[in-house]
Order: sequence, then C-alpha cells, then structure tokens
Amino acid sequence: MSWWKFWKPKSEKADFVASFLQQSRTPIPGIRAIDQLNFVVLDTETTGLNPAQDFILSFGAIKISQMTIQVSTAVEWYPVSPKNGKATAAIHGLLESKTPVQISEFVPNLLSYLGDSILVGHHLGFDLEMLLKTCKPFGLEDFPNFCVDTMNLAIRLEQGPNADRHQFKPEEYSLDSLCDRYGIQKDDRHTAAGDAFLTAQLLLKLLVVAKNKGIRDFSALSKSW
Amino acid sequence: MANVIVNRVTEFLKRFPPFSFLSKEDLEKVSTAVEIRYLEKGEVLFRQGQDAQPHFFILKEGSIQLTETHQESEEIREYCDEGDVFGVLALLGKRPYLLTAKVVENSLIYAIPVSIFEQMLEQNSRVALYFAAGFASGQVVIRQDLSHGQKARGLFKTESRDHSLLIFSDQSEIKISEKVLTCTGTQSIRTAAQKMTEAQVSSIVIVDDENRPIGIITDKDLRSRVIVKSVSTEVAIKDIMTSMVITRKRTAAFSDLYLTMIKNRLHHLILTEDGTDQTPVSGIISDHDILLSMGNSPAVLIHGLMNTLDLKEMKSIRDRAEQMLRYYLENEVAMDFVASVMTEINDVIIRQASRIAEGRFSKEYPELSEIRYCFLSMGSEGREEQLLRTDQDNALVYEDVREGLKEKTAEYFLKIGTAIVEVLLSCGFASCPGKIMASNPEWVQPLSKWKTYFSQWILTPTQEALLKASIFFDFRPVTGSSGLAEELSMHIYEQIKSREVFLNFLALNALMNPAPLGFFRDFVVEKSGEHRDQFDIKSRAMMPLTDLARLLVLSHGVVGVNNTFKRFERLAELEPTNESLFIQAGKAYEILMRMRALEGLQHDNSGRYISPESLGKLQRQLLKNAFSPISELQEIVRIRFQLDYFRK
Repeated sequence: MSWWKFWKPKSEKADFVASFLQQSRTPIPGIRAIDQLNFVVLDTETTGLNPAQDFILSFGAIKISQMTIQVSTAVEWYPVSPKNGKATAAIHGLLESKTPVQISEFVPNLLSYLGDSILVGHHLGFDLEMLLKTCKPFGLEDFPNFCVDTMNLAIRLEQGPNADRHQFKPEEYSLDSLCDRYGIQKDDRHTAAGDAFLTAQLLLKLLVVAKNKGIRDFSALSKSW
Repeated sequence: MANVIVNRVTEFLKRFPPFSFLSKEDLEKVSTAVEIRYLEKGEVLFRQGQDAQPHFFILKEGSIQLTETHQESEEIREYCDEGDVFGVLALLGKRPYLLTAKVVENSLIYAIPVSIFEQMLEQNSRVALYFAAGFASGQVVIRQDLSHGQKARGLFKTESRDHSLLIFSDQSEIKISEKVLTCTGTQSIRTAAQKMTEAQVSSIVIVDDENRPIGIITDKDLRSRVIVKSVSTEVAIKDIMTSMVITRKRTAAFSDLYLTMIKNRLHHLILTEDGTDQTPVSGIISDHDILLSMGNSPAVLIHGLMNTLDLKEMKSIRDRAEQMLRYYLENEVAMDFVASVMTEINDVIIRQASRIAEGRFSKEYPELSEIRYCFLSMGSEGREEQLLRTDQDNALVYEDVREGLKEKTAEYFLKIGTAIVEVLLSCGFASCPGKIMASNPEWVQPLSKWKTYFSQWILTPTQEALLKASIFFDFRPVTGSSGLAEELSMHIYEQIKSREVFLNFLALNALMNPAPLGFFRDFVVEKSGEHRDQFDIKSRAMMPLTDLARLLVLSHGVVGVNNTFKRFERLAELEPTNESLFIQAGKAYEILMRMRALEGLQHDNSGRYISPESLGKLQRQLLKNAFSPISELQEIVRIRFQLDYFRK
C-alpha cells in the first residue's frame, strides 16, 4: 500500500455501494443477444466543464430493455450541490422550480437505478466523471458497468473500427449532428432528460445499423473498446 | 411528477385522436406507460392470426403496411403514416390480428399498453365513441392522413367540452326497436328462423314464460351453429342459442348502451325493464341502428327543419347543427362534406324563412304572388363556405314588372326580403355591418336594375365597385326562381367579356390584401384596437385566396362554381401546368376554414381573429405553410394581368 493512501484515505464503502458493485460482479455473457441487454441512457447538466470544480445540476436518464425505450423508467433528478448557491441558481433559472434531492439520497437512488445495466451516453466519459465525483464520498471508486458512448459507436459504425479521427471533424459526431443525420427531432435540447431521451433514440437507431453490420451480440458490441 | 421525457411523449400523442380527447392527467398516465420501439424495414410487428399483443400502436415516424393474406395472395389494406393508430383490435376483443403489420420504412413506434387505455375507454365516452365509429365502418387504422388538410384537422383540434355525444343525446333519434321478436326455448330452430324471416330482422330473443330473456340467436349464429354443423332444424332453439345475455335498462343513457356494446363486441343489446335479465324484455338495439343514427344526423336535422315553421325550434336545430359541426371538425370529417352539409342546413332555413314570409304577405298583395323572385346568398354563404353563423350577406332579385305595378312590387318584395332576414336573425345569423341584406331597399331590385348595377361596377371599377363585385359576384340562388339568377350570371360574363380590362382591375384588387407574414416570417398582427396583437385570418389569409380564385375562374369564363376550393379544383383541371399549386391552394383554404371554424366554436365568435401565441409551434408552422400558395398565386396574377404596367 502506497504512502499517499494514508494521506488521503479511501472513503468507507457504504452498504448500498457494496451491493451495487456486487451486481456487476457477474460478467455479461458474450453471446447474449443485443436485444436482451439492458441499457441506461443518461445525461447530466453541470455548472461547467471542469470536473474538478464543477457540480451536477441535473441528472436525466431512461432505460432501454428488449430494444424498447421504456418511458415509465424516465427519471430527472436535481441533486443539491455545494455550488447550487443563489448565484448559479440565478444563472440557470431552473433550480428553484424543481425539487432538489440531497446528495445522500441521490447517490443511493442513482446506484440502484443503474444496477448492472450497460451505461450509455453521448460523451459518456464526462458524465461518468461528474457522477463518480458525487459518489466518491460514499466509497465508489469507479463504475463497474460496461459503457457505450454513442459518439464512439456512431464513429465505429460510420467510419469503421479503425477510423482515423483526423479524417473527419468532431462536430460531425456531436449529438446535434447525429440527431439530424438519423432523423431525430431535437426537442428539449440541453436538459439532462431531454438529451438522454435523444441519445436513447439515437442508440436504438445505431443498434439497428450495428445489427446489419453483424454486431448482434454483446461480445461483438464490446469488441475493440 | 411529469418529467421532460414524459412531456415530450405527451406533446406528440395529444396531437392525434383519440389521445386528444384525454384529460391532461389521463394523457400523462398513458404517456408514462409508452414503450418506444424502432423497427427496421422488412420487420413484422404483428402477424395476421397472431394473438393480440398487450399493446396497441401509434406510428411516430416511418411507414407501416397492413396486409391481409387470403390463402396464397396478399392484399395491402392500409398504409400507416405518422400519427396513425393501429393494432387497436387488441383494445377491444383481444382477438387475433386480422392483418399483418409490415414495416415498409424504418419506423419508430410508440406502443401503448392496453391495460392503461382500457380504464380510459370505460371512463371517457368520447374515446370509446371514437373507436366505435371507426370499427362500425370497418376501419382498421385510425386514420391520420398525411395530406395537409387532414393533418390540420388533427392539429387544430380544440380542447372542447364534451359535445360529441350531443348528437346522439336525443334518444328519439336512435331507433330502439321496442317490438322485440321473441320465442320460447323449446321452439324449434326452424320456427325461430321462420319468425325472423317474417319479421325481417336479424335476431331473435329467446325468453322464458315471463318474457325474461334467456338467450339470443342471430343470423350469423344460424349460419355458424346450424348450417355449418348440419344441426337439424327441428332441434330446440335453446340448445344453440347464446345463453349468457348481457342486458341493460331501457332508459339507460345512450352512451352507456353504446359503450356496453363496444366493450363486449355485441351486435345486439337486449334491453329490459330494470336492466337485469330478471325482468321482461322491453327493447333491442343493434349496431346497425346506431350506424344509421350516426349517418342520419344531418338528415335528421334537415328533416326537423323542413317540418317546422316555428322560429324557436328552427334556432335550436341550427344550434344542434353547430354541435354536429364541432363533432365533424374534431373527427376529421372531410371539409367538402362538412361545408356542403352546413350549407344545406342553412339553405333549408332560408327556404323555410321564405315560406314564412310568403305566408305572411301574399294575402296582402294577392296580385303580386305570381311574380317570380329569387333570394340570393352572397359572400361566404354564396360560396357554400359558411360554417359558423357569421354575417349574413344576401339580396333579392325579382322579375321586371309593368310600369304601373313597380312601386307596389318593390314594397312587397322588400317586405318579403325583410321577413326572411328577420327569420335568419332569430336563427342566430348576425346582421351584416355593411347592410348587404335583403332588408335593404338598395339590394331588393328587379332584374333590369341588378344588370345595371353589375354593368356599372364592371364599366367603372372604382375601389367601392370592386369591393361590391367581390361580394356580389359570389351570389348563389337559394330559394325562388333560379332562372333569374342564371340570367344575372350570363349578364356578368357577357359584360366581362366585352370589357376584359375589368379583370385587370379585379386582379389589382386581389393583390391589395394585406400580407399575412412580415419580413421576418412572423405573423402580421393588428396594431391597435379591439383585436390588437391578434392575427386576422379572414382578411390576411382567406380573402386573398377567395379573391384569387374568383378572379382566375372569371378569367376562364367558368360559370356556376362558387366554392373556393372547388374553384381551385376546377383551375387545376383548366391549367395543368399549375395543377399542384392550385391543389395546394385548395388544401390551404380548407385548413384555414377549419381553423377559423374551430377558433370560432371555441370562443363563441366569428373566429376571425387568432392569437398567434395561443397556437402551438406546429400549428403556427402549418398556418404559415398555408400562406405559401398565396404569394405564388399573386405572382402568377401579377404577370398574367400585367399589373406592373397597370399600377396607378
């Protein structure tokens, strides 16, 4: 054990974190068909783009199972963050109207919602980093879930698995451009739930493209990531 | 708590019936339960003969084909487009699918759990009726045609009070057969069938010795249970009857009766004295009766009007017609049908009014009662486009009389005209602010005088003359001698022919209407006054189209087509090069008419002024799209009538 761990001790694992981690311990079998996979498509709105300084303002997500978006599973949460002072509330305007959830409530809810589902998002890495930061105090060090970034999936499907990222502009794979390209009506852009819903529709459409390219099971989906 | 996603789903659903009939809470409940699927071209959502899924579907995007397979061949029954609801049989009978749903283009489908919707079906009679109307006529898809007009019907639907039932509310309209054909259970099948044949009915109720229902047999049962199975016709009827009969009270509300039939997929519903099968049979109602009563509604109203000269009753029938209108508009009935039904009703009122007027004055002027006259409707009523009771525009023409009789004749027909106008007023038609009515001596004139009027307007097309031309040229004979009106039409066309430059003036006038959209494609609203910040749909959108249509048919010398969308239809035939533009213009006009009528019904006014803010984004877009043919047509007119050289 290295010395800095003593200096900055790990947070004690909360029980719900332990049981969350437990769920993902059994790996998803590679031959599981894509339509049998469970996805949680999520998005967050934050106070800024710096995970070190900024905080989550809202979290929106929806589940896909049996290749069907289940509207009944849609959630929209507004965790209370240290930065939700009067100043940011004024900027974003929306906080006052929504019911805030205490972090102590948000994190257990979040983890039980995520379960062992595959996590999906557009630029998912950033959202996960922000979420992880919120969960760290409860002893979570990383999300054990398998993750799919719709941006990478789209690039893989359109440009091939070994795409040279210098060959195209990153804007072509922004959520906006992809929605345009796949005929998804861009409603409620820039709300966490709205973007999650768009991303969910995008995922459904991408998975159909994937199927036609022979990506039919989990092992094919998880390859080369 | 509804979140953004549920709201988004709600926004989509509420544009389409039957979801548009749901309350906000119910709609939210439905939206929350929606499951969204994406199907690829070639996939099959359900197959003919398969058991019903626990969902029915509404198409969000893409295209789905419903096909029916007979032995080897496959027949396409329907195409579904955005907003079409299908697979609804699951809702009612939980029967296997009758058709196969194939995905033609990649499709996004919203699946709605039947269990959620069933509750609404029970509680919301409008939703039930909506489905029932579709099924009764054998519809497999709840249609939401992609044509603009049809789409508009869905979009401009108002959140109305529940009026749809009102057209059925009068129990006397629905034929409930009180003489129910009955037999006892021990009688033979043959005897029962004989009774049915003699009475010419399709069902017979089997009763016990106290006339209480114990079963029912229908034509279909005889086919499937007797003939197909080769059962002897001497067998007692009770052995083959349907014995679990569902009964309702004779006096139950119609909607309740109807719902029972829909819910249980009954073709016949037995009515008893207290609603249970423990009391004697007192009536029977069949789905055929219901269909008849629905189809009959305009006929019932017209029949009612023809049989009364009582003003109060006439007004109440006209009020009921308005409820029917609302029902039609909300249920996407085709506009030409709606307009002609309403026109017919208005015309019958005028005909009755003239009978009242003649009855009152012909005794006073016995020597004049033989003189031919014709009551003319003008403006929108003349064009057969008046849905709401907006201003009346009318006039009266009578044949020329000899010198000595002139004064008296004028006096007589003014009285007749005034009496007709009064009847119309008491039936709820507003009076014309410009006094263009058959109660104004200026507009009650002999044929020769009318010819002079028209010649004058055509010869000296002043601003005022052109305004009058735009109202009077759309005249239509409603009652009396239509020969007079024909003579007048011929006169106009001859005059115009001899002085074609009039059309250039008329064209110039047609371009003077204010534009609907500003430079930034925003609605031009009224700057001041009572209707400040509201959009004048009549003068900015509808009048330009009527003016253009009138001008163009006149320039082709077409007689007798008054209706704006029929004029555009005719123009499309006459000018194949501009066919699509004219068709588009006709559709646009239909949208505008519908929108105005619904607006008027909602606010109990003429519907002329609309607040753009009150419209949804899509409605606004649709309205804007409806304007696009205006500027294109104006451009054609500008070039055709060389208006750039013509400016004063």
